[in-house]
Amino acid sequence: MLQESNCKVIDLRGQICPSTLLTSLREVNNSKEELKSGSLKLVLLSDNRSSTTHISDAVTSMGYRVDVDKEREHYMISICRNS
Amino acid sequence: MQSIHLIMLAGGLLTGLIAGFIMHRSDYCIAGMFSNLFLFRSTIMLKTLFLLIGVSMLLFEMVNITGFVTVPFPFFGPPSLANIIGGFLFGAGMILSGGCVVGTLYKMGAGSFASTLAFLGLVIGSTLYAFLHPKWVFLSKLLALPTNTVTIPQLLGISSTLPAFLISVFLIALFVYWLRNAEIETSVVVDGYIQPWKAAILLAFLGSVSVLITGMPMGITTSYSKFGAILIQLIAPERYTDIKYFTLLPLNYTPPLGGETISGGPGAMIDAISLIQFPVIFGIIGGSAISAIWLGEWHLNLRLPWKQIVSAVVGGILMGMASRMAPACNIWHLMGGLPIMAMQSLLFLLGLLPGAWFGTLVFSRVVVSS
Repeated sequence: MLQESNCKVIDLRGQICPSTLLTSLREVNNSKEELKSGSLKLVLLSDNRSSTTHISDAVTSMGYRVDVDKEREHYMISICRNS
Repeated sequence: MQSIHLIMLAGGLLTGLIAGFIMHRSDYCIAGMFSNLFLFRSTIMLKTLFLLIGVSMLLFEMVNITGFVTVPFPFFGPPSLANIIGGFLFGAGMILSGGCVVGTLYKMGAGSFASTLAFLGLVIGSTLYAFLHPKWVFLSKLLALPTNTVTIPQLLGISSTLPAFLISVFLIALFVYWLRNAEIETSVVVDGYIQPWKAAILLAFLGSVSVLITGMPMGITTSYSKFGAILIQLIAPERYTDIKYFTLLPLNYTPPLGGETISGGPGAMIDAISLIQFPVIFGIIGGSAISAIWLGEWHLNLRLPWKQIVSAVVGGILMGMASRMAPACNIWHLMGGLPIMAMQSLLFLLGLLPGAWFGTLVFSRVVVSS
């Protein structure tokens, strides 16, 4: 896990399916104050296609902005305040 | 090898390749269907399973009416309450390992280390069952329901055509309702994505192709015992000959394409099981690998938390043993047995649901605990 000043990167690549989604949602909940204030951008790295879709849907429905970009063989899910 | 056997081999390989490709593109994971239900109350994937069963039911019944293939298919037998126990253990195992017997294959094909561990667990579990087999047969007979029939229509003494038609039309109508209300589609954020409902229809057609070529739906789990038998024969040949389970030949039939009667079982020999199941297994792995390489997503990531390593192996072992106890796996029962209303498959589902719930509970509380 790598932490920068306003960007937290969590590497979930290779994990068993429900773990990717569970860990992602836990991280979003744990960081909700910073995310809502706009002081933090959460970046999740996932190589699980299903989880990438479900994380995007679930976090979008929680009111955050979600961008999914492909980075070589995995996906980068960026979560931040919905401006 | 007769030309009919070559057709079966090539057909199985092609069916497996297409299935593996589709499953990877749509991430059609049956374990995920149930874990999403219990963890997040998400039913989108489960709805596609209803569609798969409905379309398969219609197609299988059409094949049945032609008389080309005999229904119930080979391997299906009268129900026993032991099917529930097998379903329960299977459900728990598939959640812990992160994929069912087929999910494990397509994920392994795409480079998943966790699924490779689950695959090893499956082979170990299927092999361990060989030692339990006599006691399990005794228990299965003890818990057998008082009927020699295999399907519900047989039990009721009626033709399967009308109930199959009514149920499949109901399930397909339900799908149309969900589609119109946007309740069965997911957003598209990954490359080359195939909507799971489209995958469900394609997999139902592939199941029917399997029925036409081999006389039975897709099934692969006897091969896991066979892989274990081959290993035991190599490592401890004197021990191998003592294991009665490996001498059994539960499959003995004439394929619908014709030719001589062929037989096969879980032992180390090359037989009808190898002919029917090996091409599908290698096809699914290959099809998924082709899809992943095509998208530039194939990679092997060996980093995995130790709890998930244990979970994948233990889940695989549980699933391997359960697939012999049930008997057979979720693909066989959900995609092959439910569409013909096999009572074994209904009991398997009855056990699978609480098993998957229990597996989800253990996974979320123990394996992914902070």
